[in-house]
Amino acid sequence: MDRRSFLQAGVAATAASAGYAAPALSQGAAARTLRFVPQANLANFDPIWGTQYVVRNAAAAVWDTLYGVDENLVPQPQMIEGETVSADGLTWEFRLRPGLMFHDGAPVLAKDVVASINRWAPRDPMGQMIRAIQDELVAVDDRNFRWKLRRPYSKLKYALGKTGTPCCFIMPERIAATAGNSMITEYVGSGPMSFKRDEWVPGARAVFERAARYTPREGTASWLAGPKRIMVDRLEWVVMPDPATASAALQNGEVDWWESPISDLIPLLRRNRNVLVDIADPLGNIGSFRMNHLHAPFNNLKVRQAVMMALSQEDYMRALVGNDTALWSVLGGFFTPGTPSYSEAGGEVMKRANMEGARRLLAESGYANEPVTCLVAQDQPLLKPMGEVTADVLRRLGMNVDFVATDWGTVGQRRAMRNPPGQGGWSMFHTWHAGADCVNPAGYNAVRANGEGAWFGWPSIPSVEAGITEWFDAPTPALEKAAIDKINREAVQNVVYSPTGFFKSYQAWRRNVSGIQKGPLPFFWGVSKS
Amino acid sequence: MWAYIIRRVLATIPVMAVVALFVFSLLYLAPGDPAAVIAGDQATPDDVERIRASLGLDRPYLVRFGAWFWDIMRGDLGTSIFTNLPVSHMIAQRIEPTLSLMVVTLILAVSIAVPMGVIAAWKQGTTIDRLVMAFAVLGFSVPVFVVGYVLAYIFALELDWLPVQGYTPFNQGFFPWMENLILPSVALGGVYIALIARITRATMLEVLSQDYIRTARAKGAGQRSILFLHALKNAAVPIVTIIGIGIALLIGGAVVTESVFAIPGLGRLTVDAILRRDYPVIQGVVLLFSFVYVLVNLVIDLLYTLFDPRIRY
Repeated sequence: MDRRSFLQAGVAATAASAGYAAPALSQGAAARTLRFVPQANLANFDPIWGTQYVVRNAAAAVWDTLYGVDENLVPQPQMIEGETVSADGLTWEFRLRPGLMFHDGAPVLAKDVVASINRWAPRDPMGQMIRAIQDELVAVDDRNFRWKLRRPYSKLKYALGKTGTPCCFIMPERIAATAGNSMITEYVGSGPMSFKRDEWVPGARAVFERAARYTPREGTASWLAGPKRIMVDRLEWVVMPDPATASAALQNGEVDWWESPISDLIPLLRRNRNVLVDIADPLGNIGSFRMNHLHAPFNNLKVRQAVMMALSQEDYMRALVGNDTALWSVLGGFFTPGTPSYSEAGGEVMKRANMEGARRLLAESGYANEPVTCLVAQDQPLLKPMGEVTADVLRRLGMNVDFVATDWGTVGQRRAMRNPPGQGGWSMFHTWHAGADCVNPAGYNAVRANGEGAWFGWPSIPSVEAGITEWFDAPTPALEKAAIDKINREAVQNVVYSPTGFFKSYQAWRRNVSGIQKGPLPFFWGVSKS
Repeated sequence: MWAYIIRRVLATIPVMAVVALFVFSLLYLAPGDPAAVIAGDQATPDDVERIRASLGLDRPYLVRFGAWFWDIMRGDLGTSIFTNLPVSHMIAQRIEPTLSLMVVTLILAVSIAVPMGVIAAWKQGTTIDRLVMAFAVLGFSVPVFVVGYVLAYIFALELDWLPVQGYTPFNQGFFPWMENLILPSVALGGVYIALIARITRATMLEVLSQDYIRTARAKGAGQRSILFLHALKNAAVPIVTIIGIGIALLIGGAVVTESVFAIPGLGRLTVDAILRRDYPVIQGVVLLFSFVYVLVNLVIDLLYTLFDPRIRY
């Protein structure tokens, strides 16, 4: 007996006498609805206030950007019709393309753009850099705006079109007027889909509909660039905290697309002839062993170098994503493999563990058996195994490990504390960085080494910072690459942090779904369902 | 009776106040920071501090507690840190699935477990009795999530009879509503069937050995009449007690069941809120659960007087 027969029998037995309604979703309606299981819950929906990837992913469907980075990491005009730059590189004149409309029917005007940039810039590292050299940002008329700088900033279009959070999404002026540290309460964009706020059940479901007023660009869609043609009427995000349930729902046809299946379930999904599995994002992720440079023992360069020398990235990767070597590789650098920025300058030490050498280096360092307070989030499937591998390595190295098994919320709080480890602080924690954010120094907070202003661990390494400045100022790809080599060499030598390997993840979808792009976020345009 | 009910209702107020103080203090002392979770992994310390300030998390304990307590006294459970939605709205969105799951599970458990217990007592020492007890042991021993996965595999993936996950509101029809509840209710019901069946059997055995049962038999009462009219009514007090306790346990069981079957209920809301340190939501849900528990206890106390007229207050 199949489900339809069972339902009919059930309806005959129960509903006939009571007159209750039977299931009514027709096959046609189902085919026009794309049901998607996101990587996490859409807990809030302000892509500027919150910077989680899941918020960015939903926001990319609702709000458009001025430029959009394509799969070659080149920013292409998106809401922009064209721009002119003065010969000195200081004045940028932008013109919006015609016909841009917000979902509430209002036209997109230059003043909306100016307000949106003003809300985004203080929250974004590149935005902050631009503001620091900004002379004026003004709407010239309804379709034109001007950005005058005090010194050239060659990465301006990249800043406006990058995929890293927070993206520079364009909102109506009245919404963008909300302070960056307060949440917006209206979700009106000019992107290809509108958000159904009345159907939003945070933690369970988010619903989007095709935006009738959206006018796609001409050309071919590529990541955030090109025409964002929505092929279904409705997109439903179904939040499923349990991977086994998501797997079963996908196999059963109750959902169409699962963004982040765990590697343990991949063989099961592959056996189902109705399901396809493929790499989600060629830019993958970079695992991170992050050390606190402020306190012993990791304020000692030789201790950091000893630890980097002792780590086996292969051990981490096998613990994280298993034996599927298509999914991971060992890194000789900090930047994303397969991109022009990838460099192994000075990075040989990262590629092969050398425990004996590390022990010698640790002995030379004068390490006095200070405890290494390892914060390990047990509720994060990627971080728990990383923590266990680390504890093992450090113990074998001869270090005194204080293993703090906790949850990610606590790690998030504690890693911000600058006290010594014995007073509520920490020595190390793990995380990972999206490869898309590590393609260059622009959005790569973790490689910054500007002391107080740096990311958790607060490394202060002027030579790394000098390399980053050189990259931002580099007028040619060759000089950019030279700057990247310098950053990599200095970051390895001084151990800004220690990468634990490069890994990719899979996504899975039903065979009747087509048009899914590989990329750093799920792109819903071009995706259809038969 | 009315005086007793009023007294009992008024007694819940200090209980709820203590619960409120306890919940707030516990969350205040708990490690973890919603600002850090909101800010995400790429955020700088400045980002986190800015968010903390915007949420008022940098204010002193007493100020925060006073403001929160004053709000709940006025019926305002606050606003979620993450969604910016009123907590009462979020609870209202989630209460139907949880209530549905609990009601269907309870009906299922009671309608199966009580007859099972009665029959096991009646057939004490027989194969039927041993089978019932074996099932009870099994019901206790196998975790809800294991039963859930097995049921989903058989009835959803293999037979394609029922959906794996989700919830359909009751207003969209009885059958769609029921379709989503069958597997989770069966998975969750196992423990309660086992619990209630064991208590029913034990109580019935005690009651069946009483003199008045012997008298009833001597007067020629039928087996069905003896079991269900004479014995069961007198065994009802402990059974009702365990059903009441079961309702409280169901709240805990619903958390796991809702996750396994992706039901958007209060259990999942609570877990999500705890993991994110969404304090207003945790406080609101715990207060609600406490209120339900207090209410259930009140109802049980009142039911005692119906089943056993000797109980007077």
